[in-house]
Amino acid sequence: MKTIMGLLIRLFPSGFRAQFGRDLVEHVRDEHDRAWSRGPLRGLWYSIATALDLVRSAIAERLEPAWVAGGPDTSESEGVGWLMSGWTKDIRHAMRALRRTPGFTAVSIATLGLAIGANAGIFSVVDTVLLDPLPYPDADRLVYIAATAPGSDLPEEFGVSAEFFVQYSEQSTMLEDVALTNSFTSTLRADERVERVWMSSPTASLFSTLGVKPILGRLPVDEDESRVAVISHALWTTWFGSDFGVIGRSYYMSGADREIIGVMGPDFRYPVEGTLLWFPTPVRAERIVPGRFGAPMVGRLAPGATLEGLTAELHTLAQRLPERFGGSAAYARLIERHRPIVRPLRDEVLGDISGPLWVLLGSVGIVLLIACANVANLFMVRGEQRQRDLAIRRAIGAGRGQLFRSQMAESLVVALFAGALAVVLARASVPAFLRAAPPNVPRLGDVSMTVPTLLFTLGVCLLSALLCGLIPAIRASSPNVAGLRDGSRGSTRRRHWGRDGLVIAQTALALVLLIGSGLLIRSFQQLRSVDPGYDTADIFTFQIAPERASLNDAQSFAAFHMDFMDRLAALPGVESVGLVENVPLDEGTSSGRFATEEEPDIESGALLSYTWAGGDYFGTMSIQVLTGRAFTQADHISDLGNVVISKSAADMLWPGENPIGRRLRPQGAEAWETVVGVVEDVMQNGFRDSPQALVYFPLVGQSPGARIVSSPAYVMRTGRAENIAPEVRALVSEVAPEAPMYRVYTMAGLAAASMVQLSFTMLALGITSVLALILGTVGLYGVLSYVVAERTREIGVRMALGAEAKSVQRMVVGQGIRVVIIGVVIGVLVARASTRALSSLLFGVEAADLATFVGMSGAMLLVGLLASYVPARRASSVDPIESLRE
Amino acid sequence: MSDRSDGGMSLLEFHVLLALANGPLYGYAIRDAVAAESDGSLTPRAGSLYRVIARMMTWGLVSEAEPAEPLSPHPGLARKYYGLTAEGRSALAAEARRQKSAAALAEERLGAVGRS
Repeated sequence: MKTIMGLLIRLFPSGFRAQFGRDLVEHVRDEHDRAWSRGPLRGLWYSIATALDLVRSAIAERLEPAWVAGGPDTSESEGVGWLMSGWTKDIRHAMRALRRTPGFTAVSIATLGLAIGANAGIFSVVDTVLLDPLPYPDADRLVYIAATAPGSDLPEEFGVSAEFFVQYSEQSTMLEDVALTNSFTSTLRADERVERVWMSSPTASLFSTLGVKPILGRLPVDEDESRVAVISHALWTTWFGSDFGVIGRSYYMSGADREIIGVMGPDFRYPVEGTLLWFPTPVRAERIVPGRFGAPMVGRLAPGATLEGLTAELHTLAQRLPERFGGSAAYARLIERHRPIVRPLRDEVLGDISGPLWVLLGSVGIVLLIACANVANLFMVRGEQRQRDLAIRRAIGAGRGQLFRSQMAESLVVALFAGALAVVLARASVPAFLRAAPPNVPRLGDVSMTVPTLLFTLGVCLLSALLCGLIPAIRASSPNVAGLRDGSRGSTRRRHWGRDGLVIAQTALALVLLIGSGLLIRSFQQLRSVDPGYDTADIFTFQIAPERASLNDAQSFAAFHMDFMDRLAALPGVESVGLVENVPLDEGTSSGRFATEEEPDIESGALLSYTWAGGDYFGTMSIQVLTGRAFTQADHISDLGNVVISKSAADMLWPGENPIGRRLRPQGAEAWETVVGVVEDVMQNGFRDSPQALVYFPLVGQSPGARIVSSPAYVMRTGRAENIAPEVRALVSEVAPEAPMYRVYTMAGLAAASMVQLSFTMLALGITSVLALILGTVGLYGVLSYVVAERTREIGVRMALGAEAKSVQRMVVGQGIRVVIIGVVIGVLVARASTRALSSLLFGVEAADLATFVGMSGAMLLVGLLASYVPARRASSVDPIESLRE
Repeated sequence: MSDRSDGGMSLLEFHVLLALANGPLYGYAIRDAVAAESDGSLTPRAGSLYRVIARMMTWGLVSEAEPAEPLSPHPGLARKYYGLTAEGRSALAAEARRQKSAAALAEERLGAVGRS
């Protein structure tokens, strides 16, 4: 007990202890004995109270000394208001001092401003996109529901079908509300304007599930069936000029006229960002055909329900589906294997953007640390230059607390000005930055300088002020009057350790960022060199949706397409033209079960993807024909029933055998198709995809009820892919003036877009790592220059005594390299531990890729060498006479 | 003289001066005297007490002094004794006068109310 008191007494300032220390010790000892003699309770109470009082008094004494040898210091005795008035005085002094050194002030504010600005910018994106992506009431209760059936041949995760919706909405106690959703493009015609836009036809319960209300009109009810629609705010302003009279008018939407009954608010953009209108799909329990999977479902948890509880309940409910709705034996087997997938809606909506954003936030945080290290160095150098001032102030009685505060005031002023600059920079640059971002990121358009962002920026400013100012302030307030005598010439080991430590930290952090970007750059190169099975250069693609009375069956459409393709091929510079229903990198294919003559049971037939192709599709896309042939004209204008399949499909259906001439039959069809050719596999969904087992149908299908190919994607091989669009548009308006033209891309553009998540992160991380490298290099250079300047005298002496220029250079460079090597070692270790954060983005490269680590470390050492070189040259060119004269 | 923004000395400071008015005392004795003379309402802990003594010394109201009587042997090392300076005596007197007139005013007002 007494030793604790003794330790606490040591918290008092040394001057106070010198005068009163002994008395305090004795006093406490006497009181302690007396209290404990009255009983342990009294004693304990005394001990605690006294300990607290000692701590409080020690702090109070440090902040506002009651004991000042030599008389009262009037500037301290300002009573309780010292906290406020003391700081204003210090800040005023600080601003005056900073104005006297404009170079230092400008560099510090600029460095910190850039770093804080980057942090503020990224945080504003994180705040809007990640922390608040769902503008619905009680959004945490919203869940996304899908399904999985391990052991079946369905994909790992797939959308449910209508019978699930009926079952869940009627019988679930843990779901307050539930809705089926979907999303597709279709034609919207309003007066003179015809376009293909994103729409959704959910169940009417979508709006109540999400908890949204229209700003005009009303929401659909079951009685409306599909005859009504609700439009988005964007559609209302851009197409209808915010006209209130739009309610009640009917327009052509997705194949039928529907009446607009409501307008939604600007925040409502479910399920994809560009959805422009919603019309309800009624679900009739008695008309359901079970097993038509593919619809996402969204639900609202009932109060008190949990995700685990809901998953269990839905599982049980789903098991009863075959009983209630029937279906085949294969369907029953599937249901047995079925397990519901339930996850928070926010996770579903955010998708793949959260990873890159957190990586970005981390990397700009690192840049901030490096910038603070640089500015802290500058402050320390500045503090050393003012050693004389500070020593004099101390000698005439300025308190340590006062000096500490005045240094901190300077770093606070710099940080606050930097913060103001940061807000301006962030506001100006974030919009440009976002234009390079991946599309379909929710709420990206809403990003702005929110209040949380400003608060965050203020917090970062205060943190920077602390980081930059703490060490210099401690140094400034330490009693080193000896420095006065010395003329500040001596170099204490403590000082160098502090500065070296900062440079080591900068080097390590910069290396971490460099390694990260190196990994991403290599991934990007690997991804770009993947062969997806088709060409992406020099190919132009677009879609139209022709509609007229004469186009009413497969034949008429096929004839239209063939004719149109001939005219496209006649455009100058066009080498070949083809078409496909689902163009790779833009749309997904459909999938279904196929029976073969060897495996006639359709329910257990192979699950294959399928699409339609026409014209010279394979030639235009450079998809190699491996055996057999591609489609001919004859295949497209009559129902010969020939199909072309991909290599994976051939391997799946007839492994090791010749598939030409074999027959297969899709589910729901009666006639058999004959395989006439096998083509190489293609990657449909992107370069990380695995090749699909794909069946290509010709334009005219065999059985009645076969799909009519009405709006495929045309592909044109031409060297003028980038600028042929206007001519194509002119042709379209000639041939099919009623048809909107949409999904206009080049395959090269689609390829770039498919990699945008990686390329965006790579770009951003690359910029921050270059920034970090520059800051780190400047820091190292600055430190070494200062060291050389400090040791000019010593160098001069050495050279006067016969040392060669080379050896002096080697000494300086050696100092620099030593620091850089330590920094590199630490950086490698930290990078090793942290590159795992990038693993979801990496492709073809491991998180611990040796080549990248070695390469970047080598680059860092080289940079360190170069940064040391200039000060080294300067050192060796010191004139010994000059230096001794100083 | 003290230079306080709230215009006067605290009760504890007054009692410390009061305790020393009879002659120099050492720390623990000051504490006992203050406790006794304030009817037990002031029982300063060690840290606070010594800061008050320190402030008084900074202001020149108290200084180190020699004990008035020969020491009665007490355990421990030789302690420092603190006593009032001339300024300390005048400060104490001025404060006592101020308190006395304030007390008189209070009695007059309370008495007047009680009478009516």
